[in-house]
Amino acid sequence: MNGLGYGVDGLSHWFVGIGMPAWLAVTMAVLLLWIAPMLVVVFPIAALGQIFERKIAAAIQRRVGPNTVGLDGPLRFAFRAILCFLPRARQDRVFAAFCKLPVVRTILKVSQRLGLGQLVADGVKMLGKEDIVPSGADGLVFRMAPYLALVGAFVPFCVVPFTQHMVMLETSVGALFAIAVSGIVVVALKMAGWGSGNKWSLLGGMRAVAQLVSYEVPVGLAVAGVVLWCGSMDLHVIVGQQYQPGVFSMVGWNLLQSPFLLLLAVVFFIAGLAECQRSPFDMAEAESELVSGFNTEYSGLRWGMFAMAEYTEMLLIGALFATLFLGGYQSPLCEEWIVGLPVLLETFVHLALFVGKVAVTFLVMMWIRWTLPRFRVDQVMRLSWLKLVPICLVCLLGLAVTMVSSGGTVLGAPFGRLPASPHADLGLIGRLVAWAIPVAVVLGLVRASRKKHGQLHPALRQLTGGGS
Amino acid sequence: MTIEAMTPNGERMTLNMGPHHPATHGVLRIVVESDGEVVATCTPDHGYLHRSIEKIGECIDWPLFVPYTDRVDYVCAMNANLAYCLAVEQLLATDAASAVKVPLRGECIRVLVAELNRISSHLVAVGAMAMDVGAYTPFLHAIAQRELVNDIFEKLCGQRLTYNYVTIGGVAFDLYAQASEEITRFLDQFEREMVRFNKLITTSTIFRDRCASVAPVSAAEAIAWGLVGPNLRGSGVDWDLRRDESYGLYGQLAVRVPVGQCFAGRHGKVGDCFDRYVVRLLEIQESVRLCRETLKLLPPPAVKANDPTGGYQADVSRQLKKPPKGEVHCRTEAPRGEMGYFLVSDGTKVPYRVRCRTGSFSAAGIFHKVMRGIFLADVVTVIGSFDIVVPEIDR
Repeated sequence: MNGLGYGVDGLSHWFVGIGMPAWLAVTMAVLLLWIAPMLVVVFPIAALGQIFERKIAAAIQRRVGPNTVGLDGPLRFAFRAILCFLPRARQDRVFAAFCKLPVVRTILKVSQRLGLGQLVADGVKMLGKEDIVPSGADGLVFRMAPYLALVGAFVPFCVVPFTQHMVMLETSVGALFAIAVSGIVVVALKMAGWGSGNKWSLLGGMRAVAQLVSYEVPVGLAVAGVVLWCGSMDLHVIVGQQYQPGVFSMVGWNLLQSPFLLLLAVVFFIAGLAECQRSPFDMAEAESELVSGFNTEYSGLRWGMFAMAEYTEMLLIGALFATLFLGGYQSPLCEEWIVGLPVLLETFVHLALFVGKVAVTFLVMMWIRWTLPRFRVDQVMRLSWLKLVPICLVCLLGLAVTMVSSGGTVLGAPFGRLPASPHADLGLIGRLVAWAIPVAVVLGLVRASRKKHGQLHPALRQLTGGGS
Repeated sequence: MTIEAMTPNGERMTLNMGPHHPATHGVLRIVVESDGEVVATCTPDHGYLHRSIEKIGECIDWPLFVPYTDRVDYVCAMNANLAYCLAVEQLLATDAASAVKVPLRGECIRVLVAELNRISSHLVAVGAMAMDVGAYTPFLHAIAQRELVNDIFEKLCGQRLTYNYVTIGGVAFDLYAQASEEITRFLDQFEREMVRFNKLITTSTIFRDRCASVAPVSAAEAIAWGLVGPNLRGSGVDWDLRRDESYGLYGQLAVRVPVGQCFAGRHGKVGDCFDRYVVRLLEIQESVRLCRETLKLLPPPAVKANDPTGGYQADVSRQLKKPPKGEVHCRTEAPRGEMGYFLVSDGTKVPYRVRCRTGSFSAAGIFHKVMRGIFLADVVTVIGSFDIVVPEIDR
């Protein structure tokens, strides 16, 4: 209709059908399908991510974490703003009565226990801070960098399918687009490091560029493996291809299709961690070495944008991981029934499943951050070029060999509104061979390297509670 | 090719690490000249925490200096107290008339608190080193355990950091009731906790690879540069004053001394950062054992009627008014290595000279040598592995 993708086309068509003018229909559809997922799904989760992270870190470190600031402060403020025509005492009385409602009381109590108000408090604090541009800084570059970081983190989401009907852009270059656009972050970090006029920032920016450029290679290769397997770069087609009718729908997920894909998933996750500068790859802002790396000189809201970009990028890695390897928004069990539900209910269930999957990867990232020490610069480079890239290449080769030797393709099941797409047809014996041989090789390699590297010094064994 | 040959001076960048850098453990300033990520030269700059403690010692009475020794090294104040008190007792012993005999209970309590403080000091060392390498969680777990030691000390003397507990002739207060049970309970849970700590960080491959072969110091170099304590033992030199020049109760305890043996395995070297780190962990284990042994030796408190000083403290007020003339140097094994006091007495109630020698001072001396040609990220690892406590350097 107007070429803005399935969702916008379909929805604006429906709006026109109920009697809206065409321009309003398109605008509404764009707002609902392109902007709303950002504002409703990505933005709040990225913001809540900081609270989650603090709570999780506290749990790992046996601390309490934020547990004092609830939402009653912001709520009181909202009441005063809305009831500004009443005297102060009346406002407070209405507010007190509202807080006594059982539901509200429970929510307030829970939010206080979780320290949710900390989010608002931090936001207000950041807004109130002075926006400092150091005297040695390159003003324009310094000011531009946070915006670019945000753009690089948010824009790739427009090709990620959130649900069957909530996908902003179904394009045949989706996977490529996501990787390419997230590369903008490199420029942003480099600008931040260079523009700050601070040697620590400069070092952080240099590290960031070296690291991000290196790790884009394994990320790209891992995505290429999935593309090779699915025969399409459209992320929504990739999701549709992982559909498996029946009760155990997770059998169809790419993760479980081949050991090579499993390995690629691991590589993608590790390289993704490096892409969003998370520990153990947080060299660019290594606190104990570079003070705060590229964002040392940033204050207030600009710093907040960098933090936001970091969490958004984590979400992006989680979303791409779910889309490419975990069947996107599909349920692990009984997907067949869910896809047959009424549209609204189906959208809701799928969205919840998708957010759940992203949240799990998010959690794992935090768990890793608060457990592992940081790599050194040379070790990071070596990991990328000498370990991850060769693993990716071997996996790609293995996938190609599997597909060539499988003997043709078979048409899969159509998934919702997505048409059926061809799968590699392995057959029972092919499946056994494709799994057994690589798994045996990997196990053998692991055992050999254990033998070579894994011998602990007796003193260390004694320190960890083993026999002396 | 050396780093000097690779980069002419103009291409280097001077970085000012500290005095308020998060990894310099206080107020140490290190001027780093780097070629990108590689350190070319590294010059420690001291003096930001100088408080003239030695000069103060020349102005006040012998026993009044003890609180100042707390401030020489506030991470192991008990050991610092002990070093000074032992030195004064040694001075008094140069004359048979003024010699004091510390009661056995006092000796036991001294060893107990010294070893507990060694544990808490090493916990800060290994925790801070883990944090310098980028692992935040082990640091907090270590600090949580240190808090438990501080709880015990607080019940013992009312302080959590600067104890002023060991006095000339004994200790200031007797053990509180149930102290032995409480210490035993702490040690039991502490050992379990350390196993978890070591599983979390010590055997982590990333941590091991970060520390292996970084800034190795050979045994000969360590001796030549005057390293002491765990830094010396990390280089494989089997030397511990508690065993080799034993003082106090240590002669009866048969201290076992761990030395560095290339714990990192294939990629490590003897005397690298990982060895220094592991030696501290092994010393923690040894201190736990010593605490248990000491608790077994601990005699019951003296009956007030027989002994007016309570059996934990000898009365030295008479001797300190007119100590023998002369000079004495007494060294002890503090967590950061030898802590020695050189005292000169002119026979009055005020010392003529108090000189303190500390472990961090000699460790800071070797910085500019071991930090040449390493990565910038390793600078903080090296600082952490030498366990610098800045007030000890500056005094």
